[in-house]
Amino acid sequence: MEIKFETALLKLEKIVQALESEELELEESIKLFEEGIKLSLYCRQELERADGKIQQLLENIQGELELAEVEINE
Amino acid sequence: MREYFTVSELNDYIGSLLENDLTLADCWIKGEISGCKVYQQSGHMYFSLKDRDGVISSVMFKSRVQRLRFIPKDGVEVLARGNVSVFSKQGKYQFYAQEMQLYGVGDLYWQMEQLKEKLQAQGYFAAEHKKPLPKIVKRLGIVSSQDGAALRDILKVIRNRAGNLDIIIAHTAVQGAGAPEEIAAAISRLNTLGDIDVIIVARGGGSLEDLMAFNSEKVVKAVYDSQVPIISGVGHEVDTTLIDYAADIRAATPTQAAQMAVPDNALLLERVLKYQQRLIQIMQRELLDRSELLDRIMMQKVWQQPESLLKSKKLQVSYLQNQLHRNIKHCYKDKAAHFALIMKGLDSVSPLKVMERGYAIIQQEDKILRDAENLQIGELVTIDMRRHRLLAQILKKEQSAYGDQI
Repeated sequence: MEIKFETALLKLEKIVQALESEELELEESIKLFEEGIKLSLYCRQELERADGKIQQLLENIQGELELAEVEINE
Repeated sequence: MREYFTVSELNDYIGSLLENDLTLADCWIKGEISGCKVYQQSGHMYFSLKDRDGVISSVMFKSRVQRLRFIPKDGVEVLARGNVSVFSKQGKYQFYAQEMQLYGVGDLYWQMEQLKEKLQAQGYFAAEHKKPLPKIVKRLGIVSSQDGAALRDILKVIRNRAGNLDIIIAHTAVQGAGAPEEIAAAISRLNTLGDIDVIIVARGGGSLEDLMAFNSEKVVKAVYDSQVPIISGVGHEVDTTLIDYAADIRAATPTQAAQMAVPDNALLLERVLKYQQRLIQIMQRELLDRSELLDRIMMQKVWQQPESLLKSKKLQVSYLQNQLHRNIKHCYKDKAAHFALIMKGLDSVSPLKVMERGYAIIQQEDKILRDAENLQIGELVTIDMRRHRLLAQILKKEQSAYGDQI
């Protein structure tokens, strides 16, 4: 399931709040807990990723936009 | 040979001398404006240009005044282009200015100030137009020179903060002719490309002339029109360009722009870990609460001494058993008496009693015959009497002497 990082983080936040503030059935708590742990693992994985790309935006002769790999000497 | 000039003639003569001089017919002069007056009725501007040691009366006609790109004020140093001629009525020579610009950096500064006022009045810097930055940035656009220090500064910050971020660079010239158009086009291209969370427009430090592209109307409008939030990071801390007013967020430098655009993953990670920790704590507490509750329930007497519960139940069962016995006995007694009564009644109608009185039961194929209508001569029947069963054959059949009376 493709879920955006921001959505996942917000959901995680809500789950923690719900668990902290609401009186829930044990089954419900465990379900939320499991979901929260899953989300937090996903968020960690996303944050620890280091595969960001650097591309250059170009316009070709037809006036169409193209993305090209680019090397920047840092 | 004339012996004298009239005053007018002399003035005219001098005037023609000046007007025929090629240098005076079209020259640039540098000076400070003083005594500047624009006559409301004519719209012409009268002033003096002066330096430390001298002064020259000057005039600029309305049509030329309207083309000025700055508001002339006393004390402002200008470069003016025009010609020198004589004003006969007052007997003085004057400078007739055709065009005028602010001298040096002052010129650019004034241009920028004027444009700022104009754009501000048109609402390009309005706070309510500004867009908030997204909390999370996955794809960042950068409008800058591919070879500039600004881009390298930005990339350095971003790689330290967020290794998972995708970066799209829209390379542009950042100074010189054509730079404003290129910058504006780059902004709009990134918008067209789509799916970009935030755009940084950046350039390293430089002189005011170097930064002028970011003071252009085109760039300001492109920033205003952008759907994607824009952070400006142009020049050093002290530099302010018009793009800073138009941008959604103004950063002092390219490095700061990058810091503002991209949240630090390390901080986000810290947040996620904190949530995770809280989740686990909550769950542990929850389970602890539940197990305490369970403990409390188990502490109750019944679980500690189950026989006490059993004892009372046993008592109840034996009481009910007794009750049941008694009831059944009672019920049986009743029923037995009733049964005896019925039996007595039955006895009186028993066939055995009837047979004792001399009656017999005739059966054919185990069926009792109530009349002999269908019985044929020669058929077999059994006859049950009080003590014996007889097998008999019909020899004769005729109407009974009792007729149909029974």
